Amino acid sequence: MNLLVNEARPPALLALEDGTTFAGWSAGAAGEAFGEVVFNTSMTGYQEILSDPSYAGQIVTLTYPQVGNYGICQDDFQASRLHLRGLVVRDMCHTPSNWRATASLPELLRKRRVVAIEGVDTRALTLRIRGGGAMRAAISTTDLDAKSLVARVQQSPGISDHNHVADVSCGIARTEPAQGKAKWRVVAYDCGIKRGILDNLTARGCEVHVVPWNTPARDVLALDPTGVFFSNGPGDPGQVWATVEAAREILGKKPVFGICLGNQVITLAAGGRIEKLPFGHHGGNEPVANLLTRRVEITAQNHNFGTVFPSLGPIVPQESGGFDKHEQDLRIWFRRGVVPVVRNPQWGRIQLTHVNLNDGTPEGMRFLDIPAFCCQYHPEAKPGPSDAAYFFDSFAQLMEEHDGREPHAQAQ
Amino acid sequence: MPRRNDIHKILVLGSGPIVIGQACEFDYSGTQACRALVGEGYEVVLVNSNPATIMTDPQTATRTYVEPITADSVERIIERERPDALLPNMGGQTALNCAVELDRRGALEHHGIEVIGCDIDSIQIGEDRERFAQAMRDIGLKVAEARIAHTLQEAQAAAAQIGLPVVVRPSFTLGGAGGGMARTANDLDRIAAQGLELSPVGEVLVEQSLEGWKEIEMEVMRDAFGNGIVVCSIENLDPMGVHTGDSITVAPCQTLCDVELQRLRDYSLAVLDRVGVACGGSNVQFAVNPANGDVVVIEMNPRVSRSSALASKATGFPIAKEAALLAVGYTLDEITNDITRATPACFEPSIDYVVVKVPRFAFEKFHGTSEILTTRMKSVGEAMAIGRTFEEALQKAVRSLEDGHVGLWDQEATLADGERLAELVARPTSHRLFHVAEALRRDWTVEQLHELSGIDPWFLFRIRDIVIAEKTIATAGLEGLDAPHLLAAKQMGFSDARIAELCDQREDVVRAIRKVLGVHPVVKTVDTCAGEFAARTSYHYLTYEAGSATEHRSAERPRVLILSAGPNRIGQGIEFDYCCVHAAYALHDEGFETVMLNCNPETVSTDYDTSDRLYFEPLTFEDVMAVIEVEQPAGVIVTLGGQTPINLAGRLKEEGVPIMGTQPEAIDLAEDRGRFSRLLDEMGIAYPASSVAQTQEEAVRAARLVGYPLLVRPSYVLGGRGMGIVYNDEELAAYMEQATHVTPDHPIYLDAFLEDAVELDVDALCDGSQVYVGAILEHIEECGIHSGDSACCFPPFSLSARIANRVRATTRRLALTCNICGLLNVQYAIKDEQVYVIELNPRASRTVPFDSKASGVPLAKAAARIMAGRTLDELDLPPEDREFDYFAVKEAVMPWTRFPGADTTLGPEMKSTGEVMGLDRTFPLAYAKTREAIDYHIPLEGTVFVSVNDRDKRSIGPVALALFTMGYDIVATTGTAQVLRAAGIPCQRINMVSEPHPNIADAIEQGRIALMINTPGGHRSRGDGFRIRTMAVNHGIDLVTAMSGATALIQAIAALRAGSLEPYALQDLQP
Repeated sequence: MNLLVNEARPPALLALEDGTTFAGWSAGAAGEAFGEVVFNTSMTGYQEILSDPSYAGQIVTLTYPQVGNYGICQDDFQASRLHLRGLVVRDMCHTPSNWRATASLPELLRKRRVVAIEGVDTRALTLRIRGGGAMRAAISTTDLDAKSLVARVQQSPGISDHNHVADVSCGIARTEPAQGKAKWRVVAYDCGIKRGILDNLTARGCEVHVVPWNTPARDVLALDPTGVFFSNGPGDPGQVWATVEAAREILGKKPVFGICLGNQVITLAAGGRIEKLPFGHHGGNEPVANLLTRRVEITAQNHNFGTVFPSLGPIVPQESGGFDKHEQDLRIWFRRGVVPVVRNPQWGRIQLTHVNLNDGTPEGMRFLDIPAFCCQYHPEAKPGPSDAAYFFDSFAQLMEEHDGREPHAQAQ
Repeated sequence: MPRRNDIHKILVLGSGPIVIGQACEFDYSGTQACRALVGEGYEVVLVNSNPATIMTDPQTATRTYVEPITADSVERIIERERPDALLPNMGGQTALNCAVELDRRGALEHHGIEVIGCDIDSIQIGEDRERFAQAMRDIGLKVAEARIAHTLQEAQAAAAQIGLPVVVRPSFTLGGAGGGMARTANDLDRIAAQGLELSPVGEVLVEQSLEGWKEIEMEVMRDAFGNGIVVCSIENLDPMGVHTGDSITVAPCQTLCDVELQRLRDYSLAVLDRVGVACGGSNVQFAVNPANGDVVVIEMNPRVSRSSALASKATGFPIAKEAALLAVGYTLDEITNDITRATPACFEPSIDYVVVKVPRFAFEKFHGTSEILTTRMKSVGEAMAIGRTFEEALQKAVRSLEDGHVGLWDQEATLADGERLAELVARPTSHRLFHVAEALRRDWTVEQLHELSGIDPWFLFRIRDIVIAEKTIATAGLEGLDAPHLLAAKQMGFSDARIAELCDQREDVVRAIRKVLGVHPVVKTVDTCAGEFAARTSYHYLTYEAGSATEHRSAERPRVLILSAGPNRIGQGIEFDYCCVHAAYALHDEGFETVMLNCNPETVSTDYDTSDRLYFEPLTFEDVMAVIEVEQPAGVIVTLGGQTPINLAGRLKEEGVPIMGTQPEAIDLAEDRGRFSRLLDEMGIAYPASSVAQTQEEAVRAARLVGYPLLVRPSYVLGGRGMGIVYNDEELAAYMEQATHVTPDHPIYLDAFLEDAVELDVDALCDGSQVYVGAILEHIEECGIHSGDSACCFPPFSLSARIANRVRATTRRLALTCNICGLLNVQYAIKDEQVYVIELNPRASRTVPFDSKASGVPLAKAAARIMAGRTLDELDLPPEDREFDYFAVKEAVMPWTRFPGADTTLGPEMKSTGEVMGLDRTFPLAYAKTREAIDYHIPLEGTVFVSVNDRDKRSIGPVALALFTMGYDIVATTGTAQVLRAAGIPCQRINMVSEPHPNIADAIEQGRIALMINTPGGHRSRGDGFRIRTMAVNHGIDLVTAMSGATALIQAIAALRAGSLEPYALQDLQP
């Protein structure tokens, strides 16, 4: 909202680790928020972004300048709580319009105690993050002294220093009934699972047992699920050792599907390495090549960490078009028309199925000798395009194929 | 899939002349397509009858035919060129219709031509509303309830079933021509009858009204592999019921949540899939019920469109270029994004700004027509603005229109009382935005206004915020605005001029204070990715931000700023954009870094790779100065963009801005009638006697002095706005009453009108010491018809070498005396062997592109080089008086069918929207080609209706005789019939419309009239003539309203009867 329209808003300050500050006005709750500042380039879907638990620990900058236009709709929350630390926008809408809206965004932010700042040159901020990488930052409505706030940002803990998953995961297990007749029982490790994922699973006949991130594998296997799902979630996958441990035990025993953090958990369970991307992928327009169909999907993404594909094992030349070397830029495989396969010491052959066409990073993989696959982006969208919704069908199909059978023996 | 190697030669169809609904956006898309295909090594054969386009530059395609885009004409070109493939989706509806017709005739199959980019069947599904509706139902999408009607009775029955109000849409017409909303049974009868008449297949669709629903457009690309992306969503501020070309539109969509928008995205891709768009760009339009989110598919266009041009400019994603590449086999992932050069084209642009497009109208030129906006497009141009908020972009867009508004305030709106204002808010017109703002100023609530107008509350709230901010500014006054508040005002898009208005100050004071307070704009970049990747091109806009983060990059070479022409309007259109684009090319080659400034999204000049840098900004003093302050150009070019930059030249110079080429002093001299007349007197050059008047009494006195007939006009006009010819005191009085109302601050000029004189347009170059006359154009219509509306011929078809030499010599003297540096245009009248100067324009004229095509000399490029310091000697141009073995005719294209109720006669006020060129070995053949290109059907036999005014009674004899000897039957009204019989020409007398039946109206209705010659009697006559001319337009009967035009037409008919037309490629004409 413009100063000439409303003089009454309290001032606020955004400070970055590198010493940059941006003055603006409070657009949410009063107070202070420290976290890692990232940007998201989706032009719609602010409510889904705000309520995505994967943003725990982060201050989100929306690059689209006018935010809150269509208000807040009860059906669009991705989690019951808002886990992000703060929100940065250029212009906040206090008078939204949409038939689904029940409240305005600033009302929601105040009610849920989320600190937000408006009036910031979000494009300048985005270019700074692009240049300097995701960095620590703070929004304050109380400390408006640039020097002081910068100093306090520099002393604040980094995002990897804390297990954010523990904060956002459910405390106790619960069951989400299937929509319609229940065909499968799925256990979902909740590392910060989005409502959109649960909806996609239940819509396909999955009765979903949502369990805390650190539930031991034996407890899960005791439920005798048809399949196991590893969810998205915030922060550094290095912090979720318990989930990785569980995945290692479940892989090969039950059909497994992972999304985002779940993709990283499965990578780690296969002995692979994770790297932090320079400024991550956060948006609703990332092109991903499906190496199997050779189609391009426009995808919703939200991650700072990603799998280092070569770390999963050596290339199997016979199954990789005769090529025997790893490629730094995975787009080369798409151009070659080859779907590369590595030999993982633990789980056998793993196929690279999806590649990001913007930067050549891995976006999805499939285990050929055990029933498991995963993707780094968000096939459930929310917000974003639904091009990749077939992943959930694939999971249903995988469970169909392995229902009641011993998958590991079968795959051999 | 890589490039196809099985095709080598591709035929590309353009869209022909600029008409309402099909403007220069198709030059932009066609140019991109031709370049992309030539760049891929294909031979490109281009057909486009519009000479003012960049795409018809001989360098753009391999073989360029400035020929009619009709099946006959294109088939002749196919026979000569033997292309392997036809790309029909770059030239709008004209090209699609032509492709469909070629296919229907079997011409494509016969010559083994493959249609690429889209297939004929998908075009037909997209166009045939019944098939389209079925296709949508097949994929589970709703369409508006509708019924096809082929007769008025069927239309009435359909409306009865659906229930009024209904929308009537004729099949296969441009921009929804002939359609409209029927609220009453009377409306229905009128609109349906007209629609049936206009539809080439005599078919209309009667459709459920979706009034008040949101109108959303999705611009979609798809490749042959099935990959699809949505480039941009566009939301119309005006709800359903107003043609999207006439709506204020906003990108991206503002009021839909992600769930709703993703649903539209899925639907759009499904629509392309179902309709069978093989690959390329398409536009899908939806209506969304604001009450419950219900979605109805309105239509899809399986081609690039005005909206896709807008989407390209709004996002930086070159839809047409990529569509061309997709058509020759590439897939989206194989094409690199030009702007990032790091990411592929198969991503969806994300933008971090708001884009607003506002239409520009020309109702003031078409008295008598309804100004209410309907589903039938009426706007003649548009301006686009980029801002960081809707409020900013809206206010920038409004001032970009150059129609006198510096903000959301309009005096007329303030005059309306409450009841009237409610009416004005409820009715969509070109001024509704101002009425809405006025109502908000009177504290009407958003709810109230939403109820009245159907405009989404979000937009109303934003406009309300602007109004609140206005009050804050006015209350604070200029002295009360500190830096943060002034910054806030600028962030909302308030111009300095508007702030000045609100604070009762002068604009330059606001500007000075703003500078003292350090409130400056910053440079932002349009990069397709919201800053996620580095941009490699310099496509910029200016905005205001807290902080000083600017993305301006310093340049290595000296910069030159080219001011283009702003939104298209009648009198200033694509021709000036053409000149600016040529200057950008030429000056880049001269070693400058070229900077283009324009706000017209339809143009080639606003393509990010036309110039080295592009600023998408309004062409106001403030915005131009802002760019100048950022770029610090070595020179600014003001003489190629029409009147818009010319009007700024003086103020820019006062600010110390270096003007390149002709200086503002010279511009003033030429535009100041008094000074210019004195100069002509000193030089001993004849000009029509003239006088100036400020009042009625003065005018009458002046008339006595100069003598009737008089050409009267307000000072400082372009396109002859407000001009008229008066024959007596009565007409003069009537004119003065109206004209002074139009421009209260300017005097009226009264010039002796040289009746029956031959008019010439001369375009010349001057380097300060030498002059090169690039072209002498001979008008076909006599003096008194605006040069923009008159057909003209190059080289002159009836001018003696002696007169031509005198005209050249006079032009030389004038150019040197007026210190012209670059282009000038002089209009002459030749009467009784006397050469009169009518006016001198110290700038590029509307005819420069035509001259360049016809003569082979790129005059605009040459002018730019001269302005950069080159001499004419260095340019090495061919001799002025060289011989040509062909004639090129330019004919104007009139928008009559869009403005029912307006008179269709030609006069001193320009009314045409575009032009075509015909080129052939004789003048009559070339003229015949222009008629074919405009889609006038030249009847080679049948009955001719003749009715001329008293002045023309003498000259009608030979014309009628020629018609008679060629075998036409002649019918004439009483007076004319008498004259003809006296001359021994057999003819039948027919009653005028006001006389008893059977009369001429019945003959027209019965389809018995093939051609009409009717020269109007009085000034702005509303009588019989007006009625029959309107009938001619509605029935598509070729109509001639001037004797000279009749003569030319008869010559053309004779030539056509003697033999067929042969196509000419421009490349074969070049020296």
